[in-house]
Amino acid sequence: MTHTLHRRGDRENLSCDYIVFTMSAKGFNEEGAEVKMGEFLKIMLKYHPVNFGDMITGNRFVKSEEEIRQNIHSTSIMHAVFTDKSTVSKILRELKEKDLGLSVVVTGIHDNTEECCREAGLRKHTTEHSLGIFGSLKRLPEEAILQLSTMCGHAMVPANLVLRMVGEIKRGQKNFKEAALELTKPCHCGIYNPVRAEKLLRKLVPLLTYDS
Amino acid sequence: MKIDTGKCVGCGKCASYCTMRGSIMSFERNPRNPAKVYAVIDEQECVECCVCLRSGVCRQEALYQPDLSWPRIVRKNFSDPLKIHPETRIPGRGTEEMKTNEVTGRYRSGFYGMALEMGRPGVGAWFRDVEKVAMAIASLGVTFEENNPVTKLMTDKRTGRINPEVLKEKVLSAIIEFLIPQEKIPLLMETVEKIAREIDTVFSGDIISRMAKDGSIPYLKFFQERGRFISLNGKSNVGLGRPRHLED
Repeated sequence: MTHTLHRRGDRENLSCDYIVFTMSAKGFNEEGAEVKMGEFLKIMLKYHPVNFGDMITGNRFVKSEEEIRQNIHSTSIMHAVFTDKSTVSKILRELKEKDLGLSVVVTGIHDNTEECCREAGLRKHTTEHSLGIFGSLKRLPEEAILQLSTMCGHAMVPANLVLRMVGEIKRGQKNFKEAALELTKPCHCGIYNPVRAEKLLRKLVPLLTYDS
Repeated sequence: MKIDTGKCVGCGKCASYCTMRGSIMSFERNPRNPAKVYAVIDEQECVECCVCLRSGVCRQEALYQPDLSWPRIVRKNFSDPLKIHPETRIPGRGTEEMKTNEVTGRYRSGFYGMALEMGRPGVGAWFRDVEKVAMAIASLGVTFEENNPVTKLMTDKRTGRINPEVLKEKVLSAIIEFLIPQEKIPLLMETVEKIAREIDTVFSGDIISRMAKDGSIPYLKFFQERGRFISLNGKSNVGLGRPRHLED
């Protein structure tokens, strides 16, 4: 599962996109992991994530914080999305201090997350990079749409929904923030970044023209 | 997914929530009441991701998920991340991969972990194409990840051959996951680029490694020196899991 990988974009628009998440290692530290994940969520919420969720329950825009908290299992995967690296550094420092014993992954621009780790007194153990898209590329939507749709690694945010939101903004039926939140909802895990989505929509909408 | 034609009013709003970009839907006219139009889903192309149903976009409640049996259930297992795979015990279509590597030791020094996610982003893939790619890389002597849903569908892990019963099934994406010795990367990338020209979909590739002792990322140089694409963003396991794997 590489659900937070393959987020497309450039250095500028990816610089406000960080995900911190945790899961148990099945057969190793699964027992009691639900309690530790509850602690993890508590730490995340202290830093005001722009989105959070559990892969088992759903994201903050479709489920309440209470529902997410009460449904934590040892097989949960708990995510939180942040928009700046200084917050991520603080979170990593606190996670190091609390020493929950669960694996933690941070997704973002590698140079930036390296800096976050250094500031928190941590060393990366394992890294993963995207090698891009291969095959019949003509079947893909435009890059600007991909930057919005690939923020959900399970492809739950369809390209057509992006286009519909562009249309609704143009018709005045939604503002940029509302449209960004609409795109955030189908991404069950809570890894979609509504702040980045709003920024991307502000760039994309003027570029697309609809006739009557 | 199916649409109850008695309830559907043909508004087409569900098409916006179709991960197959709505191209799998068409409209038909009720022969007994020509004023009534309803939407129909092409069942061959639907990947059973359930995004349309979960969105709640249909005010008529015309969308419904029928019971799925083998082999069609494979579509839902791979396309709907809310479905927990019985083998991996993880919701979604993947595995723990690098996320718990400091505990499991899945990726050892001298090897790279790699994944080719067929159908991603948002195009979908037939298992016949998944098999084509799996067989091409199997010939290089890769080790497929045992605890991966695609590997579980292989009838022969040495050849990458997949259970013929599922070859006509289409999924939103399916991850071919394997280990490869570091020195085989040039040959693997050549093979990947060749097979990519022979399939009717897309796939996203990725690479995983433990950090080197000096803190560098072992695979970066290969891709940068050859001018090959490698993302500026990605995932990092920050090593907080316990107990640590013995190699550490």
